[in-house]
Amino acid sequence: MKTKWDVIIVGGGPGGLFAAWQIARSGKSVLLCERKREMGVPVRCGEAVGHEDFTGYIPIEDRWISARTQTFILVLPNGKEVKLKSDIYTGYILNRDLFEYDMAVKAGNKGADIVMKSNVVDLIKDDEGNIKGVRSLEMGNEKAYYASVVIAADGVESRIARKMDINTALKPEDIEPCVQATVSNANLKDNALYLYIGTCYAPGGYAWVFPKANNCANIGLGINGKYADHEKHSKDYLDEFIDNFFPQASVQKYISGGVPVTTNLSPLAKKNMLIVGDAGRMVNPLNGGGITHAMDSGIRAGKAAVEACDKPEKMEKIFSKYERDIQKAFGKVHESQYRIKDVVYKLSDEEYNHIGEDILKLPVEKRTFLKVFSEVVKSKPQFLVDVLRAYTGI
Amino acid sequence: MIISLNHCDQCGTCIAVCPVDALMLTEFKVEVDRDSCTECGICVKICPIAALEVKDED
Repeated sequence: MKTKWDVIIVGGGPGGLFAAWQIARSGKSVLLCERKREMGVPVRCGEAVGHEDFTGYIPIEDRWISARTQTFILVLPNGKEVKLKSDIYTGYILNRDLFEYDMAVKAGNKGADIVMKSNVVDLIKDDEGNIKGVRSLEMGNEKAYYASVVIAADGVESRIARKMDINTALKPEDIEPCVQATVSNANLKDNALYLYIGTCYAPGGYAWVFPKANNCANIGLGINGKYADHEKHSKDYLDEFIDNFFPQASVQKYISGGVPVTTNLSPLAKKNMLIVGDAGRMVNPLNGGGITHAMDSGIRAGKAAVEACDKPEKMEKIFSKYERDIQKAFGKVHESQYRIKDVVYKLSDEEYNHIGEDILKLPVEKRTFLKVFSEVVKSKPQFLVDVLRAYTGI
Repeated sequence: MIISLNHCDQCGTCIAVCPVDALMLTEFKVEVDRDSCTECGICVKICPIAALEVKDED
């Protein structure tokens, strides 16, 4: 069995898979280590992506699409639904398990090596602190794999970066512990992304209801970690939510997961290691979306790793460009969103109701995101001041 | 600290918040390194499905 590759990737989510695909396409040797027994399973995600975001990286295949969505419906604390303009958003609810399985096949067919049930527990380093390889536990056996570059794609846990002395520990307020039930008999009226906003549903977060094929739906909820306590966990909030709003639904499966809601990690590269996706905290801190950022950073990290294998003397320069490019592509935006998040989640349920009622007075075709924002400002002028402050840092 | 195994979904949320990197996933469960664990309790609170419990050693 081979023990040395150009690149080793730890983790087979979208970030790791896109990196593997990119590297294999470029003709370099790559090993992807995945802890689970089956690629893409269990799904830890609401599975929503925007059409343009997604197809910028790869054409979408029919079997990856569970449902198509055209709009958002905001559900206020008082239960009233605010439907936004219908062509505001074209998106998909993915079958993420099939998507990731197929991406692993694509990478494999280009020559990527994949090892399943591989739990990478440590890094092997040389005297200068560069990574020589990884130690992996596989069904009781310890294996050592070696490479010139390592990509940390190990998701929200982000322990590989910690082994390079990067502190990735999230403060409670910077993570949303989430639970999701996939249910049948959902009986949704519209093919829309339903967002339930308010402390009464999910303090410091929101509940989501996303349509899936065959009258199914992903019903999930995340609270802000600072509201997590011993008495009431995310699952308790979700059970209440389903009892109240979807009593007829049958739960097919539960999943849980943590979503980082902070700014991108820095550094995103150290020595001969690159960090991608959730491991690098590349998630929109306002809505928790991270699939396409993982894909984006996976491709960028793949390219940077290939370049560094060809020009090892320029590795430092290539890797710091990787970080700069990510910052430019979406890191700066996340910094603004992170500051706005604080303002948005400070609104009370009464204020959400009030804002919603104003938007409901408008005809549906006029309800755009901009209009929603201006209504917020109209009913709460202080909001604009807060947002401007958040943007400018004054 | 004891982690209740029948509930754990291995989602890793507790690992992400552990300030001292005392938690790790193995094939079927989360393990605590008792030497580094300071019993701060963040992992117990944050667990989305209340799978972690603090219990006395005896």
